[in-house]
Amino acid sequence: MADDYPKQEYEYLPKLSRRQSLKWLGMLATGAALPGLAAFSDKQAIAATTAGHWPEAKLSPITAKGYGKDPNLIIPPKTPWPRTLTPAQLNSVAVLSDILVPQEGNIPSASRLGVPDVVDEWVSAPYVNQQRDRVTVLSALAWIDDEATSRFQKPFTQLSTAQQIQIMDDIAFDNADTPPQFKRIAGAFSRFRSLVLAAYF
Amino acid sequence: MADIKHDVIVVGSGAGGAMAAYELTKAGVKVLMLEAGRDYNPTKETPMFQSNGEAPLMGAGNADKDFGFYDATVDGGWQVPDEPYTMAEGTEFLWWRARMLGGRTNHWGRYSLRFSEHDFKGKSRDGLGADWPFEYSDLAPWYDKTETLVGVCGANTDHDDMPHSSPGVLLMPPKPRITELLVAAAAKKEGIDLAPMHRAVLTAPKDNRAKCFYATPCGRGCSIGAAFQTTTSLIPMAKGTGLLEVITGAMVRSVDTDENGKVAGVTYVDKKTGTDKKLTARIVILAASACESARLLLNSKSQKHPNGLANSSGQVGRNMMDSTGANIGAMVPALRNRPRYNEDGHTANHLFIPWWGHQAHAKGKFDFPRGYHFEIGSGFRQPGSWVAGDLQGYGKALKDEAKASYGAYIGFALRGEMLPNEYCYMEIDDKVTDKWGLPVAKFHWKWSEHELNQIKHGLETAKAIFANMGVDLGQLPAPEEAILKGGEIIHEVGTTRMGNSAADSVTNQWGQTWDCDNLFVMDAGVFASNPHKNCTLTIMTLAMRNANWLATQMKQGVI
Repeated sequence: MADDYPKQEYEYLPKLSRRQSLKWLGMLATGAALPGLAAFSDKQAIAATTAGHWPEAKLSPITAKGYGKDPNLIIPPKTPWPRTLTPAQLNSVAVLSDILVPQEGNIPSASRLGVPDVVDEWVSAPYVNQQRDRVTVLSALAWIDDEATSRFQKPFTQLSTAQQIQIMDDIAFDNADTPPQFKRIAGAFSRFRSLVLAAYF
Repeated sequence: MADIKHDVIVVGSGAGGAMAAYELTKAGVKVLMLEAGRDYNPTKETPMFQSNGEAPLMGAGNADKDFGFYDATVDGGWQVPDEPYTMAEGTEFLWWRARMLGGRTNHWGRYSLRFSEHDFKGKSRDGLGADWPFEYSDLAPWYDKTETLVGVCGANTDHDDMPHSSPGVLLMPPKPRITELLVAAAAKKEGIDLAPMHRAVLTAPKDNRAKCFYATPCGRGCSIGAAFQTTTSLIPMAKGTGLLEVITGAMVRSVDTDENGKVAGVTYVDKKTGTDKKLTARIVILAASACESARLLLNSKSQKHPNGLANSSGQVGRNMMDSTGANIGAMVPALRNRPRYNEDGHTANHLFIPWWGHQAHAKGKFDFPRGYHFEIGSGFRQPGSWVAGDLQGYGKALKDEAKASYGAYIGFALRGEMLPNEYCYMEIDDKVTDKWGLPVAKFHWKWSEHELNQIKHGLETAKAIFANMGVDLGQLPAPEEAILKGGEIIHEVGTTRMGNSAADSVTNQWGQTWDCDNLFVMDAGVFASNPHKNCTLTIMTLAMRNANWLATQMKQGVI
């Protein structure tokens, strides 16, 4: 049975503690500079598809510390650094990861297994590889919303399944046949897909 | 703790230091062991069953934990905080250090292959490098004793590169994996035979150590004592004699000598207080790892030892070698969607590809002088931060591709012997000091044609074997691209090499420095060559033999 949820109402519930959730809501209320929230300008969104568009990334740096060279291995740290994905970004990750790994019979889809939490922890981490992936993943999410707005005048999470798949079919294949205007997003989406699959399994 | 007035100070608690301490205390000698890192207890600290999913970043490695979150290494890795090293211009050298009781024995690969007479007498055969100052037959009984004490699983075979252990010494090896049997069949077509890998992993219980239960990656350490590390074996056993005292958090600053140039003791930094402490002893044994011991000697200049302690030969820091390394692998279509079974095993390859080229070498068939072996990476492993496969598209087809590819990848890791050369050495950087005010090590490194030609041959051999498994590896990388960096294999040896003459070596065959008869080196610094077979078993075997020789000398009042 397909897990079909109404797009407009869907909201990914991250696996945060109550304390962390309250802290998050507090940040949203005060409009504090959440990294990523204002990072991508709407003005860049609409661009000629023949030339290809790419969101301009203005990410505030991650200054958190890592877990150090002698962390507790028996009880690993649950939230070693603050999470930085916004609720909107988490929703996008959830919707995309469920397209990548949908429910199969009784086996849950990716979002039901907390994959967006894992992606959030990854891109919020202060290490070199994760910082690089952060730019890739957040750019991909912004690109996908820009593309959705350009084609259908709505962000990706509010599109119908058919509309979402139309975009997916253009970006989910990174090979010799990929059209030039989708080459860059296909590469970025590829990295995102690898992350989602690793988190899923 | 009773006040033991020790006779011997051992610097370092890893393979060589712990074996020396154990053998000496067993012989009735009082030993004080100094370890730069913190105390570490595998029975309490090893994450045996924690999953990658429970770890940050799905267990992926980073600058804090280079080999993954659960790797046993504490306060170290490719960088030790506040303890830098430098490199000469144009040199790339990676220096792995741990700072913990037991050192790198806590996370090592446990590969335990004997060096052979062939390995010990390379120079006699091809004129290159240096011979060792003893015969294999001198060391053979000590290899038996070390393998018995440590607990090594494997098998005697007909391979001319693998000398036999005496009957009953080796523990039973585990069954080969499906993937390894496929490699064996493919290699056979090239006339190459695989053999059980020898590993310091128990497949039968030994004293109070349990046998391996084939579930936990050895790199995490082993709380049940099955995978060998000094912290679950030699150190507690030595402490059991009542004659061993261990001080951790002790960074040795210098080895001190008297007005005659004889070693009198050491000065170390007590890391907790930041103050220096002086100790005296009848004998000092350095086993801080090859480059740290050499660094200590060079930083221990005195009037009688103006070029560094025990360095009249000028060879301290010289003749530095690592193993050559290269990785190559691919998805093997024949393994896709294969039936799942528990393939954990004792973590590493159960079969490996030993060096097959002795006879061809004797006939002059190769353009490189020394051999290599292949370790095989394969199998169903706990998923981590990446999954294998040609991951395109989305939905069920994508998931099916990931499932089909699981356990279908085979990788070969080449490990080969390099020759010492004049461009590979370590000296002291007089412009840079570490947190303790100690001048740091400065590395020089350059591979020679010998190593590059060896890598080229290895890649071509791998390609032929993979072709027999139905895989075309395509265009091979150039050896300069494929060869891993100096230090990357973490088998640094030779910086205080043993030999027959004080003119061109630092110690005699007993690890006793020529210049100072009460100063010994018992880590891999003493190696005269670096056979492709991983160092640790031979480090421990030499330390066992030499500690026993030392104990006899002490009893006879010679030292």
